[in-house]
Amino acid sequence: MLIGTTIYALINTAILALMAIGFNLTFGISGIANFAYGAVYILAAYGVWMLLTLFQLPYPVAVLAAVGVNLLLGALIYRFVLLRIRGQALSEVIATFGIGLAILELFRYLGLVGFEYHLPVFVDKSFVIAGTYVDFQRIAIVVFSAVLILGLWFFTHHTAIGLAFRGIAQDERTALTFGIDSNKMATLSMAMGAALAALAAVFIIPLGSISPGEGYDVLIKALAVCIIGGLGSTGGVIAASFIVGFAERFTDTYIGSHWTMIVSLAAILVVLTVKPSGLFGNQKELEERI
Amino acid sequence: MLVVNNLMVFFENALALNGLSLEVREGEIVGVIGSNSAGKTTLMNAVSGLIIDMRIKEIRRGGQRISIYGNIAYKGEDITGIPPELRVKNGIVLSRERHPVFPESSVLENFRIAGYLRTKKEVREVVDYVFSLFPPLVKLKKRKAGFLSGGEQQMLAIGMALVVRPKLLLLDEPLLGLSPMMQKAVVDAIVALNKESGITVLLSEQFARPVLPVVDRAYVVENGMLTLSGTGADLMNNPEIKSAYFGV
Ligand SMILES: Nc1ncnc2c1ncn2[C@@H]1O[C@H](COP(=O)(O)OP(=O)(O)OP(=O)(O)O)[C@@H](O)[C@H]1O
Ligand SMILES: [Mg+2]
Repeated sequence: MLIGTTIYALINTAILALMAIGFNLTFGISGIANFAYGAVYILAAYGVWMLLTLFQLPYPVAVLAAVGVNLLLGALIYRFVLLRIRGQALSEVIATFGIGLAILELFRYLGLVGFEYHLPVFVDKSFVIAGTYVDFQRIAIVVFSAVLILGLWFFTHHTAIGLAFRGIAQDERTALTFGIDSNKMATLSMAMGAALAALAAVFIIPLGSISPGEGYDVLIKALAVCIIGGLGSTGGVIAASFIVGFAERFTDTYIGSHWTMIVSLAAILVVLTVKPSGLFGNQKELEERI
Repeated sequence: MLVVNNLMVFFENALALNGLSLEVREGEIVGVIGSNSAGKTTLMNAVSGLIIDMRIKEIRRGGQRISIYGNIAYKGEDITGIPPELRVKNGIVLSRERHPVFPESSVLENFRIAGYLRTKKEVREVVDYVFSLFPPLVKLKKRKAGFLSGGEQQMLAIGMALVVRPKLLLLDEPLLGLSPMMQKAVVDAIVALNKESGITVLLSEQFARPVLPVVDRAYVVENGMLTLSGTGADLMNNPEIKSAYFGV
């Protein structure tokens, strides 16, 4: 049972990291907390569902289309909504949350709720690993999370745009003196964050079904992981996903599933009490330096 | 190369630059000498275009009003309203005061971020040149920039501006807070990059003594207004300058 729980805790960790990575990317680069994140996640899932069931498109084509739509949507939200209120955190939160609310409640209003709204697993197969059954989809999630995190690391350290991201995240005005345009980078960061949400949805949704409620759930989980990790830090996302991922599964197995939520929240509280800016955050150190 | 004509900058109702005019010719090193709050940084921000970005940000958050009058011409074209990133593309590159660097990144990564507009090969070439200008940086290249000393950060900051391959390099108080020895190293490097790479330099400084010997011409600014100008040698012998800007 211990091995099985550990395996499922690892899978849970990968799911959480995958859910949070897009939100974290946008915040890390441009300081925008995109509260429409859960909604664009669900939007992509409904999009893929529609292309598959109504238009009978092949799965990969539907996925590419949804990722493309989310890229565009993220960019449009920045250009037409966030640009004018840029830098005022509360307005950004209210505006993006409003957009998210509109998207999710529209789906609810349209009655797109129920078990028929789901995405198929990639391959209907399962394996036995150390005496535990694990299906292909969950293995795909773990592998994809790892590849994605490595890929993002490579992107931010070895490409011009990735390096510009790192520059602007550290000092916007200095980045500007090297010709790095902060609006362009913020647009890209919103677009990429939304596209990552779409990819996360495609991998994770087949484990359950599509519903507006799931959108709020994903937003809360992404927020929790990012806050524990220290907003904007990729290392923090990984560490926090491990903490929450293991806490949830072990509580499930050894204490009881009705305690899961409480234990996760307690984990958040403990981390924030010990380190108020999150595990990898540096706000606290800055405060102390002043 | 650069002609600033009757430039006025207001922060709300406070006048930071008051009808400033100056000229920088191709290949020159030109100094702007002024004490605290004379308007040196405001001038540098106006020429580099950063002030346009500051203005937009203030408007967005409903902060103070920044107004700019007069005009700035670069290579015969009016650039007064052009955004900073386009000015960088055209070769106007500013190294801001207090040597801002990207503290979480290594020295090499700082160069690579600064080289956003350049190819990897171009960046490598300039970085080799920067290492020859500032030999102490070589053994620090893997160190996080936040852990460098002030003087090392200043060398890095100038090096980062060079990576962009400027035609007109703006240096805002490059000697601020440096030891006399470090000041000499930086001044020598400025002369070298001007002579060897043909980069035109406009630099600002509080104290005249270290820079007047190497500038072709200099302008003295007080309260946003021009009070004196002349060749470096003329100003060196000017008693008013000696008393006000030579420090102790
Ligand atoms: N962002 C700003 N908001 C309001 N006033 C400003 C701002 N920046 C500069 N000023 C004012 O404009 C005047 C010129 O400032 P500036 O920073 O250009 O001086 P400086 O010559 O660079 O001084 P220092 O040697 O201290 O760097 C000062 O009176 C300053 O208070
Ligand atoms: Mg200044």
